[in-house]
Amino acid sequence: MRLFKKTTIDFLVKRRFWYLVSSAMMAVGVVSLFTKGISLGIDFRGGTELVVAFSDRVEVRDVRIALDKIGLGRSEIKSYGSDRNILIRSTEQAEGTTIGDRIKDALQKQFPDKKFDVLKEDKIGPKIGKELRRDALYAIIWSMLAIMGYIAIRFKFTYGLGAVIAIVHDVFTTFGFLSILNGVIPGLNLDITQEVIAAFLTLIGVSVNDTVVIFDRIRENEKIYRSMPLDKVMNKSLNDTLSRTIITSGTIFLVLVILLLFGGEVNRGFAFTLGFGIVTGTYSSIYVASAFVADWNLLRKKKS
Amino acid sequence: MRNQLPRIILIIAAVALSIVFLWPTYQDYNYRRQLNARHGQDSVAYLEQHQDDILNAKLKRIKLGLDLQGGMRVVLEVDLLQFLDDLAKNKDDNFLAIVRDVRNEAATSEVTVLPLFIRKFQERGIRLSRYFGSIRDDDAKITAMLQDESEKAVDRAIEIVRNRVDQYRVSEPNIQKQGGRRIIVELPGVKDENEVRQLLQGTAKLEFRLLKDPQISYRVMETIDKYLTGKLEGDSTAAASATAEKKPEAQKQRDALSELTGGTAPAAADTTTEARFLREHPFFSYVHPDQRGSGEGYVDAKDKDRVVRLLERPEVQRLLPPDFQFVWSAKSQQFADGVKRFMLFAVRQTAELTGGVVVDARASVDPEDNRPIVNMEMNSEGSRDWARITGANINKRIAIILDNAVYSAPVVQTKITGGRSRITGMETPNEARLLEIVLKAGALPAPVAIIEQRSVGPSLGEDSIRSGLSSTLLALVMTVLFMVLYYHSGGAVADFALLFNILFIMGVMAGFQATLTLPGIAGIVLTIGMAVDANVLVNERIREEMEGGKTLRAAIDAGYSKAFAAIFDSNITTFLTGIVLYQFGTGPVQGFALTLMIGIAASMFSAIIITHVVFNIMTDKGVIPNFG
Repeated sequence: MRLFKKTTIDFLVKRRFWYLVSSAMMAVGVVSLFTKGISLGIDFRGGTELVVAFSDRVEVRDVRIALDKIGLGRSEIKSYGSDRNILIRSTEQAEGTTIGDRIKDALQKQFPDKKFDVLKEDKIGPKIGKELRRDALYAIIWSMLAIMGYIAIRFKFTYGLGAVIAIVHDVFTTFGFLSILNGVIPGLNLDITQEVIAAFLTLIGVSVNDTVVIFDRIRENEKIYRSMPLDKVMNKSLNDTLSRTIITSGTIFLVLVILLLFGGEVNRGFAFTLGFGIVTGTYSSIYVASAFVADWNLLRKKKS
Repeated sequence: MRNQLPRIILIIAAVALSIVFLWPTYQDYNYRRQLNARHGQDSVAYLEQHQDDILNAKLKRIKLGLDLQGGMRVVLEVDLLQFLDDLAKNKDDNFLAIVRDVRNEAATSEVTVLPLFIRKFQERGIRLSRYFGSIRDDDAKITAMLQDESEKAVDRAIEIVRNRVDQYRVSEPNIQKQGGRRIIVELPGVKDENEVRQLLQGTAKLEFRLLKDPQISYRVMETIDKYLTGKLEGDSTAAASATAEKKPEAQKQRDALSELTGGTAPAAADTTTEARFLREHPFFSYVHPDQRGSGEGYVDAKDKDRVVRLLERPEVQRLLPPDFQFVWSAKSQQFADGVKRFMLFAVRQTAELTGGVVVDARASVDPEDNRPIVNMEMNSEGSRDWARITGANINKRIAIILDNAVYSAPVVQTKITGGRSRITGMETPNEARLLEIVLKAGALPAPVAIIEQRSVGPSLGEDSIRSGLSSTLLALVMTVLFMVLYYHSGGAVADFALLFNILFIMGVMAGFQATLTLPGIAGIVLTIGMAVDANVLVNERIREEMEGGKTLRAAIDAGYSKAFAAIFDSNITTFLTGIVLYQFGTGPVQGFALTLMIGIAASMFSAIIITHVVFNIMTDKGVIPNFG
């Protein structure tokens, strides 16, 4: 079976247009980040988070009334997976697990005839929250540096720079996407948790994966077609690898859809983030990383 | 024909190793099934027969993370500041001020306690030898000593926590030191959070202290009472001689009063007996002295917090005589009128004996009233001291204080020479058992605070396992189908390699005794998708070479060698992010990083070596692989 015959698409000719599209997407994302913001899980904010499974359906409204009575009415309350499970998140800090206990008591008083099971209870002190935020930031920065370094060594420095710009583009757009879609799809929890940060780091890895395969082909073709101008070599390489790119991104995407639907609530945020990341990753390998290298080269040629 | 033998041997070796590593997991699964199938006597017999093997299998199997098993994860932080406080002598106001400063700063920022502590002293130009070590020691020497003591304290705390957890009988607990003063405790399968918290946090500071004479106790209470009504004798003279300070003092007294009454002081016009009593004897309205003259005070449970805060105020503390301390009872008691009340005891500040002398503790039941008790035995030095103390204080009361709460205050009947004692006053046998564990393991050198706690219920754990397995299976099936459809027999070979891939991942994890978490399973699912990539790179290349005119064999070889660089580079970069993720993440996320890295390595191995060998064998035997 063959999905792609020998293609000869000129990708790079329309790159100016796609630069605009990329910038627009990033701008929209950044605006959303600054206005709507993102929802931080308690990993990063500190506080108490409970997931409670009731014996039958419970209204978020009623849970809020119960929590209001103990002064925790401003906690975040939403359903978790099914309409019987409720997630309660409060950023209040208190000694030990008093907040968790108070919430459980309040729930018992409000719903005396419904039994509930505590599926999950997390309490994060303020210091830990700060540390995890710092660690997450370092992790993203370090991986970018490591990758840039490796690519700069294996290819040329320009390529390393191009790869990093593509990564930055992917990270911002995905963050923006999470911000925009937060709370929009019912039943989909898009809080930023450790798993979501893991998704970001993986997305950096996979996006670079893609970019490297293309760069590798460019390197090979440069040696074969020495007299061809760079952007033509790049176009050829992009076409050569197109079928592989689509198939690989497609299989990973398919696998992530499976994870999203069947992988359990915990993996949902991860699967969603990474899924979107794969799409931007594939796009950025062509229209950010490669395009950047092509234009940088042209600029250098003009100067000399 | 190229010699495939070395590669084949390598593959077989890898497979064999994986199976060897995975065998205990299979065994463990098997044993559990056998045990479940048997009942009662049969299962006990089976257990004894295969005891060693079962234990061995349990040790070497793949561990399930807390998110798959259910259980608790707690991060404790040793309060080194309190430890330093306890170590110091000759503590004066300067010292207390420094301790307060450091505590405030350390609560909000991520600073290490000891350097900050030392810096505060240096800023004020105070030598450390004023409070630590001997006069002749210079700052550097004392700093080194404090550093050493702090590290030893944390290590001791870890040992004690480990000891307690061992006695509590959790299967496969995991206790680790993190950083300078943190302890990570993972307890799979634990259900009662409150018990665990008590187990881990109780400092288990045991003290035996003599009660103060009832008269002294009452007199102090009266003094506090008078202070609150502003009628303290000598108050007027003191105030007159320091008019500048009079106003703030009076204000403080009024603050203390309103703290106690909660601002609901009765109106002056209110002339009911209660109101009058409240105005004239505010302290006694809340703290009722024991009518039998024991010197204790009774406080309604609902008022306890207020009285606690009142007694903590420095103005009230100053009213207490030397060697005097108020200590609360550990539990409240229900009285005949249905009200729950706590007892307030007046005890000596210095302890006659501390828990260090206790060598054994046993939870038991009092034969006389069937209530839970803990019997304790002391070492020889402790027994001697105990005999002396009890002998000198017959008919007086000694309070048994645990973690600054009085469990009981029995009257000394006779001199006790056997070094035995008992703690009463617990409500449930479980409490007695916890106390036994905590006393046996020893007192923590410093208090520990729980800064992070995560618990997963077992039902969520089971759900997670189910989701994990079903998504993995589904991903596998879809990928296999796709590869066969798109690349025909070339794809089938890739699928064959994929199965090896998964075997290798599980084998390596078993070999490293790694822990499988739900994100870890996600990592395996992701690896299935990404493993395909290497195969796609090779197969696409082979197709290209064939279209370019090469023979099948030549195309295969060219495909592999040309694709190698791309496979290597792209996988290394993802591997790098895996490393970063492993460093940054905790628990479940680390599990993901681990499976990702192992998966990448395994998929490179199976894609590059296994499939190549298979293709070569196929072509040698004349079977033509089809690449679609």
